[in-house]
Amino acid sequence: MVRAVECRDVWMVYRTFMEKDFVALRGVNLDIDDGVIFGLLGPNGAGKTTLISVLATILIPTRGEVRVLGMDAFKNTRKVRERINISSGVRMPWGMKVYECLRFYAMCYGITDRRVVEKVISEFELEEHRDKRFDDLSSGNKQKVNLARAFLNNPEVVFLDEPTANLDPDMAKKIREMILRIRRERDTTIILTTHNMKEAELLCERIAFIRDGRIVAEGTSEELKRYTKMSERVILRLRGKPGRLSLPYPFRLDGNSLTVIVEDAEKALPSIVIKLAEQGVFVESAKMEEITLEDVFIELAEGS
Amino acid sequence: MRMSLLNLQRALSGVLAFTYRNYVLTKNEFYSIFEMLFWPTISLISVGLLGEFLYLEKDAVAFIIIGVITLSVIQIAQIDVTYVMLLDMWSMSLKYIIVTPAPFYRMVTGAWLFGSLRGVIALLLLILLSSWLFEFNVSLPLAAMAIFVAGILLSAMLIGIFNCILILIFGRRAEIFAWTLTAIVMLFCGIYYPVTILPEPFRTLGLLIPITHYLEYFRSFYGFQTVFPDPLLIAIAETIIYLVFLLFVAEISMLRARKTGLVLKLSG
Repeated sequence: MVRAVECRDVWMVYRTFMEKDFVALRGVNLDIDDGVIFGLLGPNGAGKTTLISVLATILIPTRGEVRVLGMDAFKNTRKVRERINISSGVRMPWGMKVYECLRFYAMCYGITDRRVVEKVISEFELEEHRDKRFDDLSSGNKQKVNLARAFLNNPEVVFLDEPTANLDPDMAKKIREMILRIRRERDTTIILTTHNMKEAELLCERIAFIRDGRIVAEGTSEELKRYTKMSERVILRLRGKPGRLSLPYPFRLDGNSLTVIVEDAEKALPSIVIKLAEQGVFVESAKMEEITLEDVFIELAEGS
Repeated sequence: MRMSLLNLQRALSGVLAFTYRNYVLTKNEFYSIFEMLFWPTISLISVGLLGEFLYLEKDAVAFIIIGVITLSVIQIAQIDVTYVMLLDMWSMSLKYIIVTPAPFYRMVTGAWLFGSLRGVIALLLLILLSSWLFEFNVSLPLAAMAIFVAGILLSAMLIGIFNCILILIFGRRAEIFAWTLTAIVMLFCGIYYPVTILPEPFRTLGLLIPITHYLEYFRSFYGFQTVFPDPLLIAIAETIIYLVFLLFVAEISMLRARKTGLVLKLSG
């Protein structure tokens, strides 16, 4: 079976005029099957955007091999580009209206049939914005135009870089539904980056965590939870707002709410309460839950 | 057969995409029309009046007016070619162009087609204005005029490609050349004076630029001496050599920008 994407020992070093070299990817190995929604998760600066830019043939890696749809991405760049697309950020050439933007990009792909442009306009619910300037649209609608642009050439693989970033929850939900619908209708492989763990859990069949330019874990969300060997979390409401805390488990503090990720919540709870008391912090209430992908993310992002 | 026709249609569509984009920008942005008409008109009138003030002979005024017209047409046409990189750099959307299968030469050809249209409109306006205000007559045959116009438009393409290369190498730092490079080049091409008055090595540099020879060719119809017996042949030869060379360098620069990561930096 031909894989959508195969990466072997991919390194990317940014070398910009008069600036210091920066290593963004360090020997990435990745296989993505055809037809899945694959999530790339990682903290800021982890290398997510660099990785999808390499996969989308925008960047040429310093070292390593990339195959997209079975083709060497850098020997068959044009052929690969005809079958892929990318949406990254909400930018379009200024001074153009929505229809004009989409028509321009369609023509770049050799698409002269205007019905193709009209089809994506209706597919992404952009009819009422068709003749508005792109710059005058809301962030949500700009994102829709960008997604519409990414599907103009009916790609087999689409890279979406943080498709719901900076959107209000309603619009983010709408965009997520749109991605799922389009994927269902078009049977496209979607590779997306996101900071939103809930989004990754909702959309992605497989997820890879990237940190410091390396893939540190990969699998389904359930596999990843098992991988970290953390399966539960303890949520504690503290009396007052403590300053610095020290605990033998990964944790995050949000005001007076403390979340601690552990293997066995029941076993760990007494020792947590004692440890907190030693630091002069007292617990008002406690509850135990199964961990979420977000907890895995924090665990992996911190590198513990 | 059907496949090659389809490929041809795709290639043409890739070229016309950039013609379409520059057309849309001109249609939607007032400054674009302003830029095309205002500065060339101001240049022509001010230089023409200077000629009158200095009691220059008709031929001398024609010599200078040819320089003004050439500079204006080249500046207008080259900016359309430079827009291939500049527009996407400004709007931080360069990656969307890079990820399309359209090769660089198609992008610049499409943009150049629209730049040529804008250049020809400016040329006609300037010729009409100069004949009305300063009794300037186009005294060369239509075919010669067509060759001259095609030559300076191709020269504009060379400047535009050169600007794109600078953007691909130096990023935003190179933006300034979009507005200044034509004037710098024209300085060495004998815009208001014969290239022979330039000191060495600038004279040699001027002779290596095709615009110098296109200007000499045009001016030869007004009785001015040329450096070489056949300036048109030299101009065309230089244009073809530079075009091939610059397109090659542009491809290399694009590859380099993709390797160094500059394209991503220019995409926000």
